[in-house]
Order: sequence, then C-alpha cells, then structure tokens
Amino acid sequence: MSGVVFDVIEGGLLTTIQDAGRPDWQHLGVPESGAADPWSRAVANLLIGNDPGDAVLEMTVVGPTLRATTATTIGLGGADLGGRIRDGHRLRPDRSHRLAAGDIIEIPGSRSAAGGIRAYLAIEGGVDVPVVLGSRSTCLAGGFGGLDGRPIQTGDRIVSRGHRAGARRPTSARPSELVWPVPDVPPGGSHAEPVGVLRFLAGPGAGAADVAAAAWVVGRAADRVGIRLDGPSLPAGVAGETTSHGVPWGAIQLPPDGRPIVLGADHQTTGGYRVCGVVISADLAVLGQLGPGSAVRLMEVDRATALAALREQRERLVAGAAAVRDAAGWDALLAGAGG
Amino acid sequence: MTEPQPAATDPSSETIVPLGDSTVLIILGSGVDPRLAARAQSIAAAIALRRIETPAIGRAVPAHASVLVPFDPLALDLDAIIGFARDAITATAGVGADPAADEDPAMFVEVPVRYGGPDGPDLDEVADRLGLFPADIVELHAGVLHRVLFLGFAPGFAYLDGLPTALTLPRRATPRERVPAGSVAIAGEQTGIYPRSMPGGWHLIGRTDATLFDPTRPEPAVLTPGAFVRFVPAPDR
Repeated sequence: MSGVVFDVIEGGLLTTIQDAGRPDWQHLGVPESGAADPWSRAVANLLIGNDPGDAVLEMTVVGPTLRATTATTIGLGGADLGGRIRDGHRLRPDRSHRLAAGDIIEIPGSRSAAGGIRAYLAIEGGVDVPVVLGSRSTCLAGGFGGLDGRPIQTGDRIVSRGHRAGARRPTSARPSELVWPVPDVPPGGSHAEPVGVLRFLAGPGAGAADVAAAAWVVGRAADRVGIRLDGPSLPAGVAGETTSHGVPWGAIQLPPDGRPIVLGADHQTTGGYRVCGVVISADLAVLGQLGPGSAVRLMEVDRATALAALREQRERLVAGAAAVRDAAGWDALLAGAGG
Repeated sequence: MTEPQPAATDPSSETIVPLGDSTVLIILGSGVDPRLAARAQSIAAAIALRRIETPAIGRAVPAHASVLVPFDPLALDLDAIIGFARDAITATAGVGADPAADEDPAMFVEVPVRYGGPDGPDLDEVADRLGLFPADIVELHAGVLHRVLFLGFAPGFAYLDGLPTALTLPRRATPRERVPAGSVAIAGEQTGIYPRSMPGGWHLIGRTDATLFDPTRPEPAVLTPGAFVRFVPAPDR
C-alpha cells in the first residue's frame, strides 16, 4: 500500500532522503549524492524486502521523531542512534521492526560516536519523492531532490511508494550476512579507543606512505561533502595544488595546509588539490560513519585486496537478501500451520 | 577568430592513471588551455558512446586538461577500461588543434549582469587594486567573449576562459560564508557565476537573475562546454 507512512514531529539534526545517488551527472557539476554509507542503506532496504538502492531516510547523530500513521514495517541499518518506540521497545539496527498505527519512534542519538554517526531507516517500497536527474537523493548543494532539496523538518510527511508486488512480508530475523564484519584493528586501536580504518589505493600523487604512517582524528569540518583530518604535518612538497580534475568519492586530497580531506558522497565533482590515494569502494561504508573526533587510520592496500573486499561485500548483500526471503517464507508457513 | 594553432599535445603524451579502484584519470596536460579542455570534452563524449554496449563504464567527467572515467571494477578489469580510454584518445586526436573549427555559432549565451552596487559589492575595491575605474572593469568584463571550458565545483557552475589579463587578481584573503546566487565573480584568471547561494572566495563584481541550472529541464545547464558567453550590463533593479 502506498501513501503517508510517517508524520515528522521533529526533523533531527540532519535527516535527508537518500538512495543510490546520481553518479551520471557529474559532468554538469552535480555531486553524486546518495547514502554516505551505502552498505547500511542497502541493509536497511533488504531487511524489509526492498531493492538495495531504494530511497531511505539518512539520519545523522540525532535522528528524527516520527509518528506512524499506519501499521507498517521499517528496516534499520547503520549506527545505533538509540532509537526506540515511545513507551515501547528499543529499535536496534540491522533488524526490521513492526510498528502499529500511532506509534511514535524517537532516535535521540547515542552517547558515543564510536559506533558511527549515521543510521538508515527504510520504509516498505522506499520513500516516494520525485525523481530528479535519475535519483530521489537530496542534493543539498543544488537544493533539489528529496524533499525540495532540504533536510526533513517538522510537519513533513514521509510517503511510501507502496509494497512491491511479489515482495514477501519481512521477518524479524537478523541475517548474519547483513552484519558488518569487524575489520582487523591496527596497532593503536583498542576497545577503549576504536579506530576507523580506511583502506586505500596509493596515488597518483605522492604522500601515501606519510598518511599511512600517521594517526588521524576527524576535525570539526566533517559533513557529507568530506571530512578534514587533523594529525602531524606532512613532509614539504607532498601537499599542494594542481590543475583541477575530476575526483572520485573517497579521494584523499592534500591541500596546501597539509590537513588531508577525504571526499564524501556530496563531494565537488572536480578538485584542484593533490590526491595521494583513494579509499577503496568497500570502505566507503566506514568513511560514511566517521564524525568529528573519530580516530582514523589510513591503510594502503593493493588493487586485488580492494576488489576482493568489494566482491565480498556484494556477495554478502545478495546472500543476506536471500536469507531474508527464505526466513519470510518460513514465517508465512508457520503462521499458516499455527492458525 | 585567430590563426590556426599547433596541435594541443603530442598524441603520445596522454597518460592514464588509476584513481582508486573504480576510476581512471586521463591526463592530457596541465594548466588552463581551451584546446585541452575541448579535447577533454570530446574524449568524454566518445567514452559516453561506449556506454551503450558497455554499461559498466560510468559517465566521464572532463575538466581543464583531464577526463575522469568511472567504471564498475567487478564487471570490467583495469586493462579493459584503459583500452576504452586509449580508443577515445585515438578517435579524438584532431580535436582542439584548431579551436576555430570547433566553433558552433548556435552556442552563444548572453547573461545580463547588474554590475556594482549591492549586487557587486567588490567592484570598487577590485578597481582600486587594479588601478582602474569601476566602469573600466565593467567594459573589460563585458567586452569580451568568454568560453565555457567545463562544468564543475557546483551544479551548473561553468569554468570560463577569456578573462582579460588586466582583470587578474588573487582571490579574497577571507572567503565569504554566503555568496548570493547569481553573483558574477572574478578570481585569478577566471570569471564565473555562482549558481546557488554558497561560501566563496572570489570577488563579486555583479549579479544576474538568469537561472543557470534547473534540474527539471531536459538540458539542466544553460552554460554548456564550448558555448560562448557574453556578459551584458543591465540596468539596476
């Protein structure tokens, strides 16, 4: 069924509608957009039988307060921002949750940013907003996409495109394939001080060994466009400017002041700073969870490692989607048998 | 427009380097050169044609002297994408050698600009620093044809060539937190129009009401690569 699913009581700190983005319009200066953590967007969707690239709500640090206008099921992915149903149970990530009409869900934020800063809420069939340049994603820089190109706010209504024909009713199962594998923690990391590890391919500019050797902390300038890293100063001649060229999501730029910038989903399409490496595609999910104060290590890997990680990630999503479907089938059988 | 120029580059001088696991960068040279920018546009267009039979190739992003080519690395290996890039380089070898040959008189855009006053708050300071009168700045800026080299930085933002050297000025020491949409600005050897309200460090000399980017139109950008732009002084509101 399509129609209004939620009334927005509070919009939260920065809640936008995001799907798989619009990568094909960068030649006009249009940012890619899409979920900053693509893995968690896919998980939230797959948990309720959606396509992995359907439009979801991306919540940042403090999520929205929403009133369900109808009985519905949501999928949650990404960081645990302390979500709960008012006067009801906790809403944990990597699970689907059944809501009754009138339920109010609150996502007040977590005390620590260690588990990440972004969470994703999927509704059945995906969020319904007009497709602009091939995507429903909010483009904050351009002021279009999503809901009028802006974050959601009090009084907005979140509309569903409707449950897809043939989609199975979701289950409460939590397929292990859809749980983010904890990566190896490099020296310096511990449970007390978690470190986000961004694996990267070196080049074309110099400085890969220098950024890999350093311990970094995400600075205050951290948003969907990119994150600035604070750390040691780099050797002379590594950072600087160059002729502006197209830059991909995940590029590690070294501007003249020597503080690296790692580009995010809303990155400018072209940039004039030297690039010492690019975060591997599989780790864009890690990048999307880093916020101010996060400790970061940059780890150089080779191309084979990057592709193996990406392949594994895609296979896990496919297997996870199958597991959700199978579990839904069993649920239906058992419900029928139990009467 | 000018006498024929020598070829922009030696055909063997292009380099192709991977940028991460899912893009390669074709580098044609460095610096601002309309011949290289035209070549980059042609290469991007040639690669776009290959997407019909090979959807694993992404939409290429041309810039001053380079083309970024995204691709799905699980569907296409690095050698294959480099092969596509080399094909596009070969197929466009003559482009940019003679800029006059590529001119399309249909691609001509007039942008009305209110210079100075509240719409161009930096005009007087710019004139001071360049040792000119504000009217001279307007005459110089509006008196030449600017060519769109490529789009980048923000949706619909055009990098324009052709700013008279007399208007060359380093960017502002302190960027503004908010530049109004439609502001016409200069910095370095460049001039541009801010399509949206955003932070910016260029000198604001005027403002236009023209809508330069509308994502709901079939052709969202008004200023397209290769087009000629003339700024036309308009009366104050």
